[in-house]
Amino acid sequence: MDIKDIRQLVKLMVENDLSELEIADGPSKVHLRRGADPSQVAAVAPGPQAVAPPAPGPAAGDTQVEPAENLVEIRSPMVGTFYTASSPDSEPYIQAGSAVTEDAVVCIVEAMKVMNEIKAECTGVVREVCVNNAQPVEFGQVLFRVKPS
Amino acid sequence: MFSRILVANRGEIALRIIRACKELGVETVAVFSEADRDASYLHLADDRICIGPAPSSQSYLNIPRIIAAAEIADVQAIHPGYGFLAENAHFAEICRDCKIEFIGPSVASMRALGDKIRAKELARAARVPVAPDSKGEVETVDDAVAVANRIGYPVALKAAAGGGGRGIRFAHNEATLRSVFKQARSEAEAAFKDGRLYMEKCVENFRHIEVQVLGDMRGQIVHLYERECSVQRRRQKLIEETPAPGLDRDVREEICAAAVRLAKEVEYYSAGTVEFMLDSGGEFYFLEANTRIQVEHPVTEVVVGEDLLKWQLRIASGEKLDLSQHHVKQVGAGIECRINAEDPEHGFRPSPGRVEAFVAPGGPGVRWDSHVYQGYEIPSAYDSLVGKLVVHRPTRAEAIATARRALDEFVIYPTKTTISLCREVLSHQKFLKGEWETTFIESQMLAAAR
Repeated sequence: MDIKDIRQLVKLMVENDLSELEIADGPSKVHLRRGADPSQVAAVAPGPQAVAPPAPGPAAGDTQVEPAENLVEIRSPMVGTFYTASSPDSEPYIQAGSAVTEDAVVCIVEAMKVMNEIKAECTGVVREVCVNNAQPVEFGQVLFRVKPS
Repeated sequence: MFSRILVANRGEIALRIIRACKELGVETVAVFSEADRDASYLHLADDRICIGPAPSSQSYLNIPRIIAAAEIADVQAIHPGYGFLAENAHFAEICRDCKIEFIGPSVASMRALGDKIRAKELARAARVPVAPDSKGEVETVDDAVAVANRIGYPVALKAAAGGGGRGIRFAHNEATLRSVFKQARSEAEAAFKDGRLYMEKCVENFRHIEVQVLGDMRGQIVHLYERECSVQRRRQKLIEETPAPGLDRDVREEICAAAVRLAKEVEYYSAGTVEFMLDSGGEFYFLEANTRIQVEHPVTEVVVGEDLLKWQLRIASGEKLDLSQHHVKQVGAGIECRINAEDPEHGFRPSPGRVEAFVAPGGPGVRWDSHVYQGYEIPSAYDSLVGKLVVHRPTRAEAIATARRALDEFVIYPTKTTISLCREVLSHQKFLKGEWETTFIESQMLAAAR
């Protein structure tokens, strides 16, 4: 198996949106994994390492960010699970295009069965919702991007 | 065996835990603070979760954040490493209440041995020799004086909730005792939230000998022999070795058996260490018990040939400790040097910052346990341990020679470290003869240098 073969395999994975592929060809074996972290990809067979194309990050809800704008990021102050609304049947607190003020509740981050209301702490218009409902979030993770007014 | 665990620590011990897990096929999720965000060992874990800003109180010591991380990472167990929450019985209890196994001993044994007054009572019950003491709390300064008159000066006033060499005050006479008492109490209150004090007869110039124990949840307990940890600076260990040099075989057997008796007394399981003071007359006395894996565990691992972290994982997942005492043997000699980022020429003040150039030693008989590499930024928020140099050779003399050779191979710039101090100790006549006491660095070496 050489680098050309491996490139073909990578192309195959991207075209078919595969996240993991393992091929054994006699004594040599290749295991390819697409993930957010390129260092997770490894070729087991002797030979050059496969390089996966940069895969989409964990925040699947990203929309196009206008690079020239100075957007304010609302980051999670805790570790837990992100919820866009106060309950499964409620409307989301905010979405792209919503206006926010400092004390506006933007989401819930739940940790150890406690629902914590997260405040905007800024004023402006929401440009992006960066995480999905029920997604685990870490401390400092970007939840929203807001165009400040 | 667990399929995924949370590594609730940082630096070299987090890396050590990850390594053991990888070899056992256990997935790891490592927590980290903002100060450790760029540490490369995090990429050896299967996943990593930022739990807070640099201060430990908001990250590695923060129970709600660690438990929240364990929940979103969907782990079955948490390994607390050493330091931080490793001996926090409350944390262990919360983990288990949340149906997450705590990789360590039972909450009851942590509470029992964590309280130094209670630990001594248990030692007495287990027929483990203890230094003459107050037999409980010393409540007032007059009580203290009465006890001191009974047991004789010099005395050590110790915090019940202390440990690791902290919260200890000495008095050679009544006047000193009266003057330090109040201070000792308020320091204990501030540091441990528990102002209780007890008093012990001071064993001066002792050798620090500790015994590694391992137990499973079915009551099987073995010892993996002793470690000599007498090379200390201000009560913090610097160099550890095994076997303890010149230790009489019978004394070795007695100390190790005493450690096992104490462990059995509290139905101990997982890894633990029982520490003793060995005086110049060959008498030993219980010092304290540590209910966690210790920094210096590798020196036992190399000489006894067992992987203590893997045993912790197996034991915590309910497996049997498949190790019988008569199969445990010390083979050769091991020495560990703790390399700390401290400047010996400026009172050992911490030397954090970027490690511009770094080359670790290697070659036969050398093991290097460290998370540090060239380009790594040593944070100022945590302890200064860079790594542990562990050597294993057939004899003590060869181990010393290999340790010196390895210390000479280190390249670490511009970070200041304790490498030079370790080198000096390993060349010192007293060390070569195996005659070292816990106060030697202060009294023999640093004093001479002034």
